[in-house]
Amino acid sequence: MRQLLNWFRRGNLERGLNRELGYHTDRRVSDLMLAGLPEPEARRQAMLEVGGLTQIQEEVRDVWLTRWLRDFLYDLRFSARSFPRSPWFAAAAVLSLALGIGATTAIYSLVDQVLLHALPVRQPERLVLIDWKGDQAANGFGSWNLMSYPICRDLQQQDRFFEGVLCRAATTVNLSTGAEPSPAAAELVSGSYFSVLGVSPALGRLVDSADDSTPGASPVVVLSYDFWKTQLAGAADVVGRKVLVNQNPMTVIGVAAPAFRGIDVGQVPSLWIPASMSAQALPGFKDQLDRRTRWMQVLGRLRQGITPGQAQAGLQPWFKAMLEEDTRRPGFPRITTERRQRFLASVLTLTPAPQGHSGLQRRMAQPLWVLFAATAVLLGLACLNVAGLFLARGSAREREIGTRLALGASRGRLGRQLLADSMLIALTGGLFGIALAPPAVKTLIAFLPRDTAANALQSSIDSRVLLFAFLISAVAGVLSGLAPALRAGRDPLISSLRQRAGTTLGGVRLRKAIVTVQIAFTLILVTGAALFVRTLTGLMAKGPGFATSSLVEFGIDPLRNGYSRTEASRLIRRIDSEIRASGSTQASAVASFPLLTGGSWNDPMTIQTDQRVTTDRDVNLNAVSPGFFATLGIGIAAGRDFNERDSLPVGRSGRRSAIISESFVKRYLRGRSPIGARIGVGSGPDAKPDLEVVGVVRDISYRGIRDESEQAYFPIFEGGDSGGTFYVRIRGRTETAFQSIRAIVRKADPALPVNSLRTVDEQVNRSLNTERMLATLSGAFSTLALLLSLVGLFGVMSFVVTRRTREIGIRLALGATGSSAIWLVLRDALTMIAAGAAIGLPCACALGRLVESQLFGVKPTDPFAIAAATLLLTVAAFGAALIPAYRASTVNPVDALRFD
Amino acid sequence: MPSARFPIPQGTLDMLILQILSLEPAHGYGIAQRLEQISQSVVQVNQGSLYPALHRLEQKKWLRAEWKQSETGREAKFYSLTPSGRKQLAEEKKSWARLSGAVQLIFHEGSRS
Repeated sequence: MRQLLNWFRRGNLERGLNRELGYHTDRRVSDLMLAGLPEPEARRQAMLEVGGLTQIQEEVRDVWLTRWLRDFLYDLRFSARSFPRSPWFAAAAVLSLALGIGATTAIYSLVDQVLLHALPVRQPERLVLIDWKGDQAANGFGSWNLMSYPICRDLQQQDRFFEGVLCRAATTVNLSTGAEPSPAAAELVSGSYFSVLGVSPALGRLVDSADDSTPGASPVVVLSYDFWKTQLAGAADVVGRKVLVNQNPMTVIGVAAPAFRGIDVGQVPSLWIPASMSAQALPGFKDQLDRRTRWMQVLGRLRQGITPGQAQAGLQPWFKAMLEEDTRRPGFPRITTERRQRFLASVLTLTPAPQGHSGLQRRMAQPLWVLFAATAVLLGLACLNVAGLFLARGSAREREIGTRLALGASRGRLGRQLLADSMLIALTGGLFGIALAPPAVKTLIAFLPRDTAANALQSSIDSRVLLFAFLISAVAGVLSGLAPALRAGRDPLISSLRQRAGTTLGGVRLRKAIVTVQIAFTLILVTGAALFVRTLTGLMAKGPGFATSSLVEFGIDPLRNGYSRTEASRLIRRIDSEIRASGSTQASAVASFPLLTGGSWNDPMTIQTDQRVTTDRDVNLNAVSPGFFATLGIGIAAGRDFNERDSLPVGRSGRRSAIISESFVKRYLRGRSPIGARIGVGSGPDAKPDLEVVGVVRDISYRGIRDESEQAYFPIFEGGDSGGTFYVRIRGRTETAFQSIRAIVRKADPALPVNSLRTVDEQVNRSLNTERMLATLSGAFSTLALLLSLVGLFGVMSFVVTRRTREIGIRLALGATGSSAIWLVLRDALTMIAAGAAIGLPCACALGRLVESQLFGVKPTDPFAIAAATLLLTVAAFGAALIPAYRASTVNPVDALRFD
Repeated sequence: MPSARFPIPQGTLDMLILQILSLEPAHGYGIAQRLEQISQSVVQVNQGSLYPALHRLEQKKWLRAEWKQSETGREAKFYSLTPSGRKQLAEEKKSWARLSGAVQLIFHEGSRS
């Protein structure tokens, strides 16, 4: 660093050194004169003693700045001065690399934030996710890696391995901080949560184990720093304030540290509530202390020096004993012997979790890596392009290089000069790329799904990303300069010094190889893009299986506003009939679970016809009001829709009828009459198939458009299903309908928030976010790739034509036709395209397998996609080669021969 | 006329320079002269190794340099020892003493047997 500083003050240093050495010599001269020598003799003597002034200066300069660095800086300066002389070359090279580096940096920023960045907590590398592999013989709700609260408590006792264990569950609560309640993302946490993570409060105190000891006894919340700053304007007196969580009064005890945004990068909580208050935070939930209800993720902090593998192995004996004990506990469900064996064969797994636990990570990991690979290929292409440009420029500079070689420059020295050229281009490109990245990241973040909980992603470039951008710029600089640098001065001196231009074919073969590789890379990207575009269009053409036009949806959750189940059902029924009566709607219906959100209510089922069978996988379930199928336009294939009588509670089980989907019939009731069959939820010996199938409906998409699972519907009944998503077929303008829907809900209960009011078309779009991101970005990247390789092809072909002008002229003079001249050039281009395709296609097929899970309705070796990609590339490349080819045919033989 | 030069390894020269400057600040010419005088012309440094050494020591922040009027009235670049230079000198002296002591011992033992 100090050395680099010396570079900038080298003028000063030089002057100082000269004065210093001058003084030395003069003093020596005067001393020698004092000793009696005459002045000329004294001066000669002094000079002799010095040896060589220049050599001393050089040696001192080496002290100031290491030799190679000094040379490199001189090279950079030389490059910087030479580029303005060929501005088009410089602009093309910088632009190529800026696009490549910008795209790679933008995707890396997301990869880093979503997948790689460790939580801002104490020693995140010691955090592990503890998961149950096997059958938990339990019911549950939530996302992934779930266990029950008591098991988390048990794990906390395992202090041989863990410094601490925490558990947490994400949810949404209706939070009122004074005004009307609004939905807020919350995290239910064990008392150990903050201490295990090592997060400190910004204000007040955080949830501790005392808050989590007795269920219902600690009505306290901790606010997130962002929520406190944005929603409460950073009020200093926030600690001690009362807030309402689902209408339950709770006290704010503190605000968490500013940087801490929970452990899920995709779902940032606004507040933390102790798990002891889960009955209040999750209305109707009474199973916090039930060992067989899985709803929380469990993370542990390993003791210093213990590896996840050691802890995992060490925990198994205790875990086995716990499983045995569990089966003897009162309340353990009656399960089949087979299932019991699966339960007893369960193991605990520990995986490092320095990034926390996030559904976003799980969903986006593969798409992000795919995109990152695509940008890496794109950057590689850009480097090849710049290498090609340099080679072209190198052959234009052959005489200069030849002259320098003749004057004694070593080939290594010349190569370093060329490397300095490419480094300068790459670093400039990197600067532009970094400028391009933040808006690109912003666009990318917009592709990610979001609901009440915001994600913690930011589009600003942090130091890690900056370092990454710098590194890839340097790598790009080396890569794109390597070929020209290695080639520098390879040609025999004499030929490059000859007067005539265009005798050597210097670098053409290398440049052709580069273009061939570019074509192969491009083919891989274009094929990938074709696959993703076909996936997206296929999914959009498939649709959810019902008519989405003028269909809107919204949700309400009266339980979170303090309603009882029966009251909630009545409220939903009242709102439903009000909406029906409104002038701006055609039809309305309620489902207890929303469609196309990625989740579902699912369970295995038991079917009783002439024999009893259980389903071999979960059936997606929903409870709907009469008219649901008609409102959504789902055809009834057999039997009938539910009617009001189905919706009345009967006896203890509440339900007495069910409707199943065609795929359900196809999989489990083939050849039997579905109407009148009896089904029930559950697969154990205690499952009661007592619901009569009254109808069969067409299949629709439930979790998402890709979903093709079996479905079963139950009627919504009073006191049973108490939350709801409304589906409303509207008349006229959407905004008018939204207003009247809001007005109707407000009239029914002013304090009840309307959640996710949107058109179903929008919901369909949201559910295809990942697919759209992949299709759009891979399309954009392959367009860029195509452009880059076309420029490369065009460049090398133009060069070839210029080089062969004489030869073509002679051929034409000897009677060759224009079209044969065109063919002469095109043949070259076609060879490159064919070779590129021969390399690229097998790679594309092989790489396609890696993205298979992201595809839908199309195989990685889809002939249509591959043919389309190849055709597009060939036509475009052919077009790019045609221009120089045409120029070859118009060569005037006389001019060409006069070239010398 | 300079007699046959006594070649000084770089590390030793650095140490000698630090030692000279520990007495009082001096310019390059002065350092060369003093080395010659004190060592009774056994040690002679040429400028080709003196000036790179001075700049190297300055870069390492063991020396500080400033332009001052010299005894002849002309401005010269005077070098002086920094505190870290002083520490370095002490260390080098110590290790030099150990080395030369060891060499003495070996010579001593060797001549006895």
